[in-house]
Amino acid sequence: MDRAGTQMGDPGRDSGRNTAAALRERGIKTLFFCTAATAVIVVAFILLFLLADALPIFTLVGLPDFLLGQTWAPSAAEPLYGIFPLIVGTLLVTFGAMVFAVPLSIGTAVYIAELASPRVKSILKPAIELLAGIPSVVFGFFGLIVLTDFIRVVFDLPTGETWLAASVLLGIMALPTIISVSEDAITAIPREYREGSLAIGATRWQTISRVIVPAALSGIAAAIILGIGRAVGETMAVMMVAGNAAIIPDPIWNILSPVRTLTGTLGIEMGEVAVGSDHYSALFGVAVVLLVITLIINLSAVAILRHIHEGSSARPGRKPLLPAQLKEPVSRSLKYGLIGVVIIFLFAALPVHLAVGILLIGVAGYFGRDRISRFHIEKASFGLIIISALTVLIILVIILADIVINGLPALSWEFLTQPPTDLGRGGGIYPAIIGTLYLVAGAIAIALPLGVGAAIYLVEYTREGRITKLIRTGVDLLNGTPSIVFGLFGFAFIVIYLNVGISMLAGQVTLALMVMPTIIRTTEESLKSIPASLREGSLALGATKWQTISRVVLPPAVPGIVTGSILSIGRAAGETAPIMFTAVVFSQRFLPDSVFDPVMALPYHLFILATNVPGASASKYGTALVLLILVVGLYSAAIWVRTHFQNKIRG
Amino acid sequence: MSSDVIIATHDLNLWYNSTHALQSVSMQVKKNNVTALIGPSGCGKSTLLRCFNRLNDLIDHVRVTGEITLDSENIHRPGTDVVSLRKRVGMVFQKPNPFPKSIYENVAYGPRVHGVRDTKELDRIVEESLRHAALWDEVKDRLSDSALSLSGGQQQRLCIARTLAVGPEVILMDEPCSALDPIATAKIENLIDLLKKEYTVIIVTHNMQQAARVSDYTGFMYLGKLIECGKTSQIFEHPNEELTENYITGRFG
Repeated sequence: MDRAGTQMGDPGRDSGRNTAAALRERGIKTLFFCTAATAVIVVAFILLFLLADALPIFTLVGLPDFLLGQTWAPSAAEPLYGIFPLIVGTLLVTFGAMVFAVPLSIGTAVYIAELASPRVKSILKPAIELLAGIPSVVFGFFGLIVLTDFIRVVFDLPTGETWLAASVLLGIMALPTIISVSEDAITAIPREYREGSLAIGATRWQTISRVIVPAALSGIAAAIILGIGRAVGETMAVMMVAGNAAIIPDPIWNILSPVRTLTGTLGIEMGEVAVGSDHYSALFGVAVVLLVITLIINLSAVAILRHIHEGSSARPGRKPLLPAQLKEPVSRSLKYGLIGVVIIFLFAALPVHLAVGILLIGVAGYFGRDRISRFHIEKASFGLIIISALTVLIILVIILADIVINGLPALSWEFLTQPPTDLGRGGGIYPAIIGTLYLVAGAIAIALPLGVGAAIYLVEYTREGRITKLIRTGVDLLNGTPSIVFGLFGFAFIVIYLNVGISMLAGQVTLALMVMPTIIRTTEESLKSIPASLREGSLALGATKWQTISRVVLPPAVPGIVTGSILSIGRAAGETAPIMFTAVVFSQRFLPDSVFDPVMALPYHLFILATNVPGASASKYGTALVLLILVVGLYSAAIWVRTHFQNKIRG
Repeated sequence: MSSDVIIATHDLNLWYNSTHALQSVSMQVKKNNVTALIGPSGCGKSTLLRCFNRLNDLIDHVRVTGEITLDSENIHRPGTDVVSLRKRVGMVFQKPNPFPKSIYENVAYGPRVHGVRDTKELDRIVEESLRHAALWDEVKDRLSDSALSLSGGQQQRLCIARTLAVGPEVILMDEPCSALDPIATAKIENLIDLLKKEYTVIIVTHNMQQAARVSDYTGFMYLGKLIECGKTSQIFEHPNEELTENYITGRFG
């Protein structure tokens, strides 16, 4: 039987088709390479532009005086550009946030991974994803209205805008990151460990505290570092509640002092500075410092996570993260350092007798631990774990309830379809809704092809080598860059250098750059989840690379890519910092005519209403609710797509 | 080289990183016969099989020296079109790997990527391939069902049908029955017997009875070397090498 002939045509035509096909294959590969290279080029450009604009201040003031100068007074008659108080502010706020978030997060992660029943899990996990989806400006709004007021009343202060408020708020915002990454780390511990420990007769708590958590420790460490990165890079929320006085708290543990962070400085001053002035340059200097800090933080988290990932394949001869002889002292000093810090904070935050009481209980527990039955210890520990999970849930409910209850009365047909009047106190938010939709649509139209192309190149076309390492590092750097830095870059490069002006286009491009890493990551993940046997099966049939990718690999990966895109849309819709200087105006009666016009946007509208317009309570809550519904709706859609199609593929 | 040899290797060496996985393998595979490769786990038989359609190209850090010829043409010659090589040398894997598509689409996939667009032609190829793979009667009423709804044995026969649909000359089978139960295994073995009329089959198996049942020629491999290769009856009844005899009589492996 001569089927080959009848099916494939004569050999001559066949080979002609093959050269054309080979050319096409090469073209496609080149195309994907270009999309992947974009990430690296963008990172290079960001660094280049920030440095170029920051250079004048470094030469004017000198790097040591810039970093260590005690006074930040850029608009004084004799301006001083010392960012030391800002750096200290950033570190203190972040540190406080971690003191608040780490115990809660780890407790919740342990609860979800080890204790929760499937039903509780199915409530708690989406709740945490919901928390991750709330835009930072909404957190800031909540912090400004509810949290600072609470602190003002409780501590009897003139204003609640303090380090404490900023730390608590940032801690809440870092919760979802730390919880989900820690939970992944704990879930990834092989069942054999658990069974091995339980089979010896250890209690569940002993198994968790002595086998599972230690085994997941580096993953949890990475989770905390990612949380730190999130907190350091956050702008809007922290700027709205921190009080923003550029001072170092006195004494240093005075958590009721106002502070100012690096990001807050950029957010406050960037909009009002004269382009090209010393002050302008100093702000770019601040951005460079901020970028360096976040890069170090995020790259170390990435390094740890990657180490775990590769460690699981247990290649012999791999260098451990720490040399063996250092491991013990390092972990010991970390442990005692942590205890010391917690004690200092106890005394700073609570009345003295309460702090002493807690300390005594802790000490008694430590020394009396052998006298207490291990089943009681288990009960107490599980109690604490459940309390931390409940706390997280309650925080979410309070935030949502406040915004929904106060926002619902403001919602009306007019509110959704009319332009604002009287500086946003009256009228509606129609142009802001439309503006946000335009911005997001444009951003995704730019980011989706680039991101998916880059991911396809990274997963399908390359072997791990120097180029992929470079691209991956570029993506990681981009992913860790604070959103305000994107805003600055968009302003310096697109608005000023390319002379596009403050416009929808500038905002779309800036947002696109910001969400690209998310799209690349999620696409990479879903491509990697397609088993290699399918690719081999297709290639073994004589399909070309591109045929294999487009017909076998991509179709089942589509739900994952869609999920990633929707998450990116949600993120882009809620972001304020990147569009603040590039695309938006506060009040505008009309919709933009072209991409070169500025637009209104929901997050920015909320920010201005909350901070600059007194007496707009109804519209504030209304705007916050609309933004929340929009973003949370997108996130729920993403979650639905994910679970729905997962089930479909499995079934 | 006699004209009925379709695949031959000459002094073939292969390294994974620094592991010398195939050591100076020289063998000949005769057309329209079933050749079995046997040997203990890790002896290189699957690696050798994956050389014949250059699927090892997909693995990082693999280095190959020596010569493999298909119809007297070296398949490592620069400019070899790997895609058309794989069209001529099909492969069935150890675990059934149907695409997450319908039964029909799985079989039609190969012809489609090779440019067949005519629906009638595709229908014909799909039916013929499924008949050849002895699966047609079981699936003809549900061609649009997902391939993942089939049993393991049916999935493996679907993968065979998918390979046949491209019209290969050689079919490589990498332990095609190791994930299947005895009944499904028997069906595949019968199928292999039918296939050799039109195709050349090279099968890797760790099941010596299977090699004895289905193959005309058998090669025994050990630690990356081809110890001996010859008629199956001769290998099993009068092996030349002591190693072969020890393996076949179950003294190690």
